[in-house]
Amino acid sequence: MALLEMRGLTKIYDQGKIEVPALRGIDLTVEKGEFTTIFGPSGSGKTTLLNLIGCLDRPTAGTIIFDGQELGGLDKKDLAIIRRHHVGFVFQSYNLIPVLTAYENVEFAIRLVNKYEKKEIRDRVMRILAAVGLAGLENRKPNELSGGQKQRVAIARALVKEPKLVLADEPSANLDSKTSEEVLQVMAKMNRELGTTFIFSTHDPLVMEYARRLIEIRDGQVAKDQRRE
Amino acid sequence: MLFLTRLAFKNLARHRNRTVITSIIIAFAVLSYILYDSLIGGMIEMSYATIIDYETGHLQVMTREYWEKETEEKELPLEHLFTLDEELEREIQEVEGFLAAAPELNFQARLGNGVDELPVIGKGIDPEAFGRVFALEDRFVEGSMFAPGENRAVLGKRLADLMDLAVGDYITLLVKDKDGSYNTIDAEIAGLVHTSNPNVNQNIVYLPLDIVEQGLNTPGEVSKVIIRLENKDLASKLAGELGGQLQGSAGNLAVYPWDEMEAVTFIGAAEIEKQLIFAIILLIGAIAVINTVILAALERMGEIGMMKALGLQNKEVVYAFVLESTGIGMIGGILGVLMGVGGVWPMVKYGVDFAGLVSMDLASFGLPILGRLYGVWNPAGFAWVFLFVVIVSSLSSILPAYWAANKDPVKTIYHR
Ligand SMILES: Nc1ncnc2c1ncn2[C@@H]1O[C@H](COP(=O)(O)OP(=O)(O)OP(=O)(O)O)[C@@H](O)[C@H]1O
Ligand SMILES: [Mg+2]
Repeated sequence: MALLEMRGLTKIYDQGKIEVPALRGIDLTVEKGEFTTIFGPSGSGKTTLLNLIGCLDRPTAGTIIFDGQELGGLDKKDLAIIRRHHVGFVFQSYNLIPVLTAYENVEFAIRLVNKYEKKEIRDRVMRILAAVGLAGLENRKPNELSGGQKQRVAIARALVKEPKLVLADEPSANLDSKTSEEVLQVMAKMNRELGTTFIFSTHDPLVMEYARRLIEIRDGQVAKDQRRE
Repeated sequence: MLFLTRLAFKNLARHRNRTVITSIIIAFAVLSYILYDSLIGGMIEMSYATIIDYETGHLQVMTREYWEKETEEKELPLEHLFTLDEELEREIQEVEGFLAAAPELNFQARLGNGVDELPVIGKGIDPEAFGRVFALEDRFVEGSMFAPGENRAVLGKRLADLMDLAVGDYITLLVKDKDGSYNTIDAEIAGLVHTSNPNVNQNIVYLPLDIVEQGLNTPGEVSKVIIRLENKDLASKLAGELGGQLQGSAGNLAVYPWDEMEAVTFIGAAEIEKQLIFAIILLIGAIAVINTVILAALERMGEIGMMKALGLQNKEVVYAFVLESTGIGMIGGILGVLMGVGGVWPMVKYGVDFAGLVSMDLASFGLPILGRLYGVWNPAGFAWVFLFVVIVSSLSSILPAYWAANKDPVKTIYHR
């Protein structure tokens, strides 16, 4: 069953006098449990597409159906609720909250979901931090972590609430290949065991290797879309 | 929500400099209000004392008609007097907290020095009883009080200066007696007084009660009996009690507390100034907080965008900011109140030499200050101003917080 259905998705950034077309008519269907990578040259519209899928931004035209729900009819508040419960984001710039420790940054995301007991929250946060290789660093503040460690906190934060959909914008950009591999394995495991849907944007061949579907975007349009088994 | 609360306090602790500076600005606003409030309170207390000690006493017994004529027509009628008999005297003395009572026979007169004439208020008094009710004794700048039966008078130094009079000079009071015929009372000046009460200083001439009775042809009658109590705050209640009692024994008499006297009403002006100071505090606090919230929001744009990506509602982002500002308001408020305690304490204990400060006779401007002005403690004022800055801090952060929360998360996350 489809988690996402996009039809004629168009995004035009209005820059005062000039209009920048970032996406021009994207048609895509993403099934539940897919492990997908979007690639393409810089400026082709990858980040823009992820933001639309993640209910963080609205298209200029076209429709997105997220898990059976048409997003166009929802207000900001409803979109926030979908993000809170069902979407995990990993951004290029990690955007951790500087006054919170690694542990608390991850805890924040799962607390918002509001469905776990105190002890369960603690277990889950510790487990996911260990899984991304941050055991022992839980109490460090972001300014006491390296770029790669911050990226891993951001990944843990996206995964901890076990959302239906994880969107990761260049997740391996700040990681060495060994750590990248570890993190990808954590995600692949979650994908296998929980059926979580993953969509990445990347230039990294390693990430593409893990993906079972490769979508190439050029000039805001789907240029190639191939699945492999 | 608990998590957001913790986040707010962590942000306060983390951005310590900003928290401290904003709190201090708020604290100084609070401090100035508290000091002002204490001084105004002291001034009001002094005004009350000035009126009570030299003019009104705590309670006044008089006929209802006299009260109406005096308050409404500004007259001192001689046809609505009463007799102070022993039974009435006993009833008055039985009032709770009674200290002393003194009769007064008041009249309008023209004061002459042989050349000029001035309208004045004459008061026939029993010097001994008067001394127990009023504080004039310590205010003689020349001479002293007269004894009963003497053809002698006491008046304000200011009035004497105006009329070019000194102790030992003779004055003439032109009066209309009870039957409406003109009469004069002649007296030698026994003493001159100077008080913080301008009315006493320039409008009143005191004479022995018996001399005045003769002059006005009102034997055995008085205008008022003035009562001094232990506690001025009980005056209203006791006026009601004594009034009720007199209803039975002396039906035409009524009792009025000092705070119903006309002389007291001007003091309300100080309250308006207080509102103004409140408004200034509001402005200072609000500007400090708005400025802080905007700076904090600008600095944390990416963070706010991320929190929204995590699914935080706008109002939750606002909540976190408002809470942070409330925290700043509380710190500033507590700091200000503590500084206020430190500032008010010496003012209460040692007072401020206001008169010395401006080296002028403030009494002639109607400011009831003679010597030092003492501050008063007003705990209710402390509580109010604290509550006030906390509320102002919270409210003034709402708008900038909404502005920050409404920013497009995509723009803030990617710094575009
Ligand atoms: N907020 C914005 N305002 C105006 N133009 C924008 C905005 N965001 C993106 N664009 C433009 O839209 C186009 C697509 O940008 P997008 O960030 O989606 O590309 P991308 O594929 O993620 O690139 P990269 O690989 O460099 O991250 C680009 O031309 C970009 O300049
Ligand atoms: Mg991008």
